[in-house]
Order: sequence, then C-alpha cells, then structure tokens
Amino acid sequence: MAAGVEAIDYAGGTLARAQVGLWRDGLRRLRRNRLALAAAIYLILLAAMCILSLFWTPYNPNLVGTCPDYTLPGPGHPLGCDDLGRDTLSRLMVGSQVSLTIGLVTAVIVMVLGVGIGLMIGYLRGVVDAVFALIINTFYGVPPLMVAIVLYVLLGPGLINIIIAIAATSWMDMARLVRGQTLSIREREFIEAARSSGARTGKILFGHVFPNALGPIIVQTTFVVPAAILTGAFFSFLGFGVPAPTADWGGMASEGFSPLLAGYDPYMLLFPAVFLSVTLLAFNFFGDGLRDAFDPRQRR
Amino acid sequence: MLTRGTLIYIIQRLLIIVLTLLVVSFVVFVVVHSLPGNAFISQRVHGRTLQLLLHEYGLDQPILIQYWNFLKGAVQGNLGVSLYIRGEQVTPLVLRELSVSCEVGGSALLITIGLGITFGVIAAMRQNTWVDYTVTSFAVIGYTVPSFVIAGLGVLIFANFLGSITGGSFAYAAVWTGTYGTIGELWLPALAIGLYTSGQITRITRASMLEVIQQDYIRTARAKGLRERVVTIRHALRNALVPVISILGTTVVGILVGVLVIENIFGIPGLGKEFVDSIRFHDYNVTVGVFTIFALLIGLSNLLVDLLYTVLDPRIRY
Repeated sequence: MAAGVEAIDYAGGTLARAQVGLWRDGLRRLRRNRLALAAAIYLILLAAMCILSLFWTPYNPNLVGTCPDYTLPGPGHPLGCDDLGRDTLSRLMVGSQVSLTIGLVTAVIVMVLGVGIGLMIGYLRGVVDAVFALIINTFYGVPPLMVAIVLYVLLGPGLINIIIAIAATSWMDMARLVRGQTLSIREREFIEAARSSGARTGKILFGHVFPNALGPIIVQTTFVVPAAILTGAFFSFLGFGVPAPTADWGGMASEGFSPLLAGYDPYMLLFPAVFLSVTLLAFNFFGDGLRDAFDPRQRR
Repeated sequence: MLTRGTLIYIIQRLLIIVLTLLVVSFVVFVVVHSLPGNAFISQRVHGRTLQLLLHEYGLDQPILIQYWNFLKGAVQGNLGVSLYIRGEQVTPLVLRELSVSCEVGGSALLITIGLGITFGVIAAMRQNTWVDYTVTSFAVIGYTVPSFVIAGLGVLIFANFLGSITGGSFAYAAVWTGTYGTIGELWLPALAIGLYTSGQITRITRASMLEVIQQDYIRTARAKGLRERVVTIRHALRNALVPVISILGTTVVGILVGVLVIENIFGIPGLGKEFVDSIRFHDYNVTVGVFTIFALLIGLSNLLVDLLYTVLDPRIRY
C-alpha cells in the first residue's frame, strides 16, 4: 500500500481521504472509540503503578503489624489494613505485579503456542489435524480451571508454574483461530505465487500466512490477558495462588471474605475486588476496541 | 423425529463421550497419583503403618495396574473408596454432592437462560435506545466481573447492609447450613454464577435477534397484521435461538467453573468444594471421580445442545 498519497483537494473540499496503511487506519479508528481510549488510559496508569510498586510503596506490603489489624480506611492508611495489620494500598500496588505478569506472560505464551500449533495443523492438515482436533476436543471436555489447578499442584507452587498451568489450558482457542485462518489463506493466489516462485514452507508460513492473519491473532491475544488474570485470581481465591506472603488481588479478596461474612470489615474484600474488576473491564473494552479497529469484519 | 440417522448419530456421540472419559480419567489418574505426598501425610502415619495402609489401598502397585483396577470398578459404578475419610465409598459421596451441585448449577442455568434471553430480546427490540445501552453495559459487566466479586457484593448488600438497617430480620444468611440449600440460601450463589453466563447469552441473543428481524419473513408476518409480540416471540425468537443454543455448551462449562468457585465461598457441600478439598488432601479417587463426572456432564450437555438444534430448526438433520 502506498501510505503517503496526499489527499486530493477539489474546489476547496476533500474528495478522497489520504490513503493510509492498515496500522495507521486501525489506530485512527481506535482513537475514535472513547471507551477503548479510556480503558487504554486506565491500563497505562495501572502499568505505571505496577512499575512504581517495584521501587516504592507507602508501607512495606509484607510487614505484619504496620497498623492495628482490620484498620478501616482513614488518614495514614487510605484503604485500611488487613487481618495481619498490613497496609492494603501497598499490598494492592504490589499485587498488580502478579496479576499483570500472569496476564501478559500467559498471553505471550498462548500466542506463540497457539500460532505455532495453528499454523502447523492448518498447513499440514490430514492426520496431524485429526490428532490435534482430538486433543483440543478433550481439553474442551473438562473445565479448564480444574485442569489448571491439578497441573499447578503437580508442578509445585510459584508464579511461573501458575503461568504454565494457565497457558497449558488456554491455547486451544488461539490454535483453532490460526488453523482456520491458515486453511483459508493457504488457498489464496498469492500463496500459490509464492510457492511457484520457490518459497520454502517456513517462508510461506511465517512470511505470508502469519502476517495476513495478524489482525485476528492480536485481537485474540488481548482477550487472553483478562481471561488469564481472571483464572489467576480464581487460583489464589481457591488457595492455589502465589506462596505467602506475596500479595495478589485474588488472594487478598479471598482473605477478605471471612471479615465480610462476619460483618466487621468489608473493605478487605471490596478494594481488591474493585481493582480486579475494573482491570478486567479495561482489558475487555480495549480488546473490543482493537477488534473493531483492526478486524472490522468481526464487528458485532 | 427420532429417525435412524439421529439414533446412529447419538450412538456415535456417546462413543466419543466414553472415549473422552477414558482419556480424561487416565490422564487425571496418573497425574494425581504422581502429586508429591499422599493422602496419609495429614494423618501422621509413618513407617510400617504407612506401608500397610498403602498396601491396603493398592497404592504400592504400578500405576497402570492401579488404573486398571479403578477402571474395572468404574464400569460397575464403583469409583473406589475415599482415602481421606478412610473407607467411605466414593460413588455415593460424589452422587450426593452432584445433586447439591445440580441444585446450585441448575438454578444458575435457569437464571442464565431466563435473564439472558429476556434481556437480549429487550435490547434488540429497543436497539440504540437507553434501554439497549443499559442492558448491554450490564451484560458486559456481568461477564467480566468475577463471580466471587458478585458474591461478595451480594453478601455486603443483602447480608450486612440489609441486616443492619432491618435489625437482622430480613438479612441474607450467607453460610449454607444443611446439605441442600433453601431458596433463601440458594439465590445468591446461583445469581453470582448465573450473572456471568447470562451476560454472554444476552449478547448473543441480541446480536442474533437483530439479524433475524431484518429478514423478509418477519416483514411478511408484520404485513399479515400479526401483533408485534407474536412476531417477536413466535417468528423471530425461535430462529434467533439457534446461535444461542450453540453457545449453551460453553455456558455449561462456565457454570461448572462458577460452581467450583462459589461453593467454596458459601461452604456448599457440592462437587466444587469436594474437588478443591480432595486435591488438598490427596484424596485420589475423589479427585478422579469429580473430574469424570464433570467431563460426563459437559459431554452430555454438548450432545443435548446438538439435538436441540433439530428441534428448533427442522432443516438440521443428522
């Protein structure tokens, strides 16, 4: 595409808009979507808070007895303290590290794994495709959270193992998407042209098929992020999270349930729950915006 | 309606379900047996006693033989004995818990379908009005916000707040007391699970209705002078339901995950709570049993969904 063609002015008005490439066009559409933009701004702020928490938090997030147990929100401790007298704001800030790491790293692994498998079975077809169809259908036949929990217990505690367990149970959608894209793209004329001019399989897959399927892949990846964060939160909520005393939102919400049920401190649940929910909403809105911008055919 | 083709199709599908169950149970069996530690650690048994216990439950045999023994029992409906509550038969245990989970999950499914389809149709009928925007926003919030957050907010509002302003007379009792919950105990867990899945159903119903009401036969129905309600419900909704039915399989998985999480919050003695406990206590047979039941539920509901197609759309045949 010629990205630099000037707009054609005619009698003072614009007859044709300047031609722009796929990326710039998508970005323009994304900028017009106010909800997606708000989500993006929130996510940038969240990332900033996450980075800040690496160097500075108001109090030591793991120091027991920073303030009296179950301190309610007030001056000094704007979000209160938990059952061990640890500052909730500090723990929330540090907790964003766990959630964002789980979300982003899982998304990258799922993308690599899903794209690799999808390209392979979409290109090879036949027996390989049938075998993977069986594997994928078996995965769809059990609740992913259960498989992930068993896998995590097998691997042993730790953030990396949580990520592996979640990624191992969420690559199927991506693989199916890429498989479908590959099946349709490989029949197109330009692939035939590439093959007849002597391009090798690797070149065809990664040089031609992959770039043409990139839009849907990126969109799908952005939806993996909130799904992984949610699964991670379920993990710690059920007691299979990062080892104590590391703070994470799901675990904090889980700790907040007994004071809530007993009726003396709702904030221990409320704040991590709000942070988690708003973050998930922001990722979903941003993903919706990206899909509308880069993959207009999928628009709902 | 039940033609020979349909029958063959059902049999094929049942065979695939059996195959899936075999694969799932085998993998889970091998994996849980290789987890570090064993069921007797928390019971402080060591040395010779431990060896005797392991031998008594056949845990000292090679894993493949153990699986074969498990399988021999399983085809007769015997899932073995619990290792944590020593000697307790797993089959009656998980069946009782299944009935509890079905109470919770079934109510969640009713809420999902009821709310989802109603709001989806309303949003589509009032497209691009404030009604539509409100409903779609709530749908997005519903399927984004984690079920335990909804449960927490529910407890906060209906147990704590309502309890404090009425002096405790109308408050929601958050902790499940009996084996089966009363309606008063059941609605909040069911709603916490159902809001998530109903959000998805709302979106699909809305999109599908919008597509259907643009078709010619809807115009014909209106031109015949039928009332709008008849056109919407009898003509449009029936056809719009086909894509909705197709995601019901996913919905069932979503509800099962919800059951897993929510049961642990409210102390509901169902399969979800048992699953988490059984992993913690290395109660191998129970873990495998719960897994197998969940896989069976998903397989059967997917089959049911595919058969529902033929009811809704007679053009679809197997």
